Amino acid sequence: MVEVKTLVSNPVLVIGAGVAGLTAATQLADFGIRTVLVDRLPIVGGNAMDLYKAFPTDDCSYCFEGSRLRPGIRKCFYRSAILDQPNIDLKVNTEVTEISGSPGKFQAKLSVGPQYIDSKKCIMCGLCIECSNAFCLPSPQCQPQAVIYDPEMSDEGAKKAEEECPTKAINLGAQPSEETIQVSDIVIATGYHEMKPVSIDEYGYGKIPNVVTQLELAQILDPNGKSGGALVRPSDGGQVKRVMMVQCVGSRDENYYPFCSKICCVYALKHANIITLERDGTQVTVVYMDIRTYDRHERYYRVARDAGVRFVRGRVSRLEACADGTLDIIAYDSLLDKYLKFNVDLFVLSSALEPPKGSAELIESLSLHPASGFVGPADLTSENAVVAADHVYVCGAATGPAEIPESVTQARAVVSMILQSRK
Amino acid sequence: MTETEEKADPPAVMIEPIDISKLDPDFREGIRSMPNGEELSACFACSTCTAACPIASTWKYKPHQLIRMILLGMRKEVLSSEEIWLCLTCFECQERCPQNVRVTDIFFDCKNLAAEEGMIPDSIVGLARELTDKGQLYVVTADWEREDMDLEPEVPGLSTEEFKTILKGTRTGRIVGGDE
Repeated sequence: MVEVKTLVSNPVLVIGAGVAGLTAATQLADFGIRTVLVDRLPIVGGNAMDLYKAFPTDDCSYCFEGSRLRPGIRKCFYRSAILDQPNIDLKVNTEVTEISGSPGKFQAKLSVGPQYIDSKKCIMCGLCIECSNAFCLPSPQCQPQAVIYDPEMSDEGAKKAEEECPTKAINLGAQPSEETIQVSDIVIATGYHEMKPVSIDEYGYGKIPNVVTQLELAQILDPNGKSGGALVRPSDGGQVKRVMMVQCVGSRDENYYPFCSKICCVYALKHANIITLERDGTQVTVVYMDIRTYDRHERYYRVARDAGVRFVRGRVSRLEACADGTLDIIAYDSLLDKYLKFNVDLFVLSSALEPPKGSAELIESLSLHPASGFVGPADLTSENAVVAADHVYVCGAATGPAEIPESVTQARAVVSMILQSRK
Repeated sequence: MTETEEKADPPAVMIEPIDISKLDPDFREGIRSMPNGEELSACFACSTCTAACPIASTWKYKPHQLIRMILLGMRKEVLSSEEIWLCLTCFECQERCPQNVRVTDIFFDCKNLAAEEGMIPDSIVGLARELTDKGQLYVVTADWEREDMDLEPEVPGLSTEEFKTILKGTRTGRIVGGDE
């Protein structure tokens, strides 16, 4: 068991409770450092929450390898960390609005959203969800373990739920608040956002319901999702028989993002393999410019080819929505120098991974080095890629598109740097 | 009063695309199930085979394209292509393939499939006829060469009769004999 001692009192602010932020926060806390972990969403986990199966282990995305010191269900350590670690002060629904002060003595102004649900009191009995659609449980494993409330969907049932909640965990009158905290170090773990490719006209995203992004596909495939994991068309819930994916949508494109989003080839193939091997009789075609399953991830490509996923090197030339909800697609195969015509039920875009909202402001307010919109290291020639400035660190996809093991490694490097600075 | 004559819209695509739904998905599996086809699907179209091939520069369909056509199920186009018959079977492609695809052997299988369907180029049928008619592919015609080397005009002890009889009973005989 981990013996928790408070060694130092200067707290660390970790911005973003995704894989990188959670890892950094729990490890710092384990070393006795008080950590304030903020996330703008009501639950932690970030993008990894929506992945269904995460590469490279194909585990549930909660269960990637964390700290071996922690007890938990299999490798899942966040559950025990967030519930039991007194050094972590988790603030969900919270945004950092302003950072001032000097390195080692930062003042961070936090805008804390209304705390409608007291997550320490909620027992997830489901009574409120029965009363009103404004309440929901995003996932059985969500952290904090509590329902969330959407004020925009408020109705009479919500008031009834507030009255009848057996643990009085609901407070519909909750108001947003502001607070300023002083912290010694800042860890930026703000992750990435999947671009919504509405402006790339030729793919019809946002206009044609059966055109989705990879993260949206992951949610369709999630057994906890609406369809119970069945691969269905968003337009009518009909079974999907043929899928086409197209790579490099907005990535490696000077009009959008000039960089390679690095992980989309791998997760596109992960999805292609799940569909081909676990959803009977569904044919997947991947249209690509280059398949970049770097490093050990080459095996996803090999498995995909063996499984019968069809690969077309080239680009989509035309897309037409048919009356029956299917799409007629003509793709140019540059290897054959031929045009191929397909009819598919679902068209999936491997959209670029972009910096999340607020990145530019954060970079500006701390005078950091931007790297294609993400946070770059303070010194490009230094081996400490996680040092963004004096007492400011960066890890995970906040540095640019990154996979989970990479994010965890960087988060640990940040923890190591902070510990060294406090020797 | 008609203002303008109705014009037909220009075609959406100038080149008619290959309709994937009209191709034969069993072709891929058929080739794959043959002893040489085990690694067929491992092909990632790097085109090493085409780079290695000494004669593909003159081909309409290059080796990597033929493999792609097999993977897509373009049965008719592959089996009726002349390239599978032009292959020298030098095995350079197969030796160099980074994914262990047995390219040459797969083309050989394609030749067998094409032969079963009667799709053999006339030049190949001509060779088969030579064999069944003469019992040998290369008949000594330039006997002056033998003379220059002080050899007797006929190859001593050469008997082609047995070969002719045997070949007539084999697939070669059937190719020449048509629907026998």
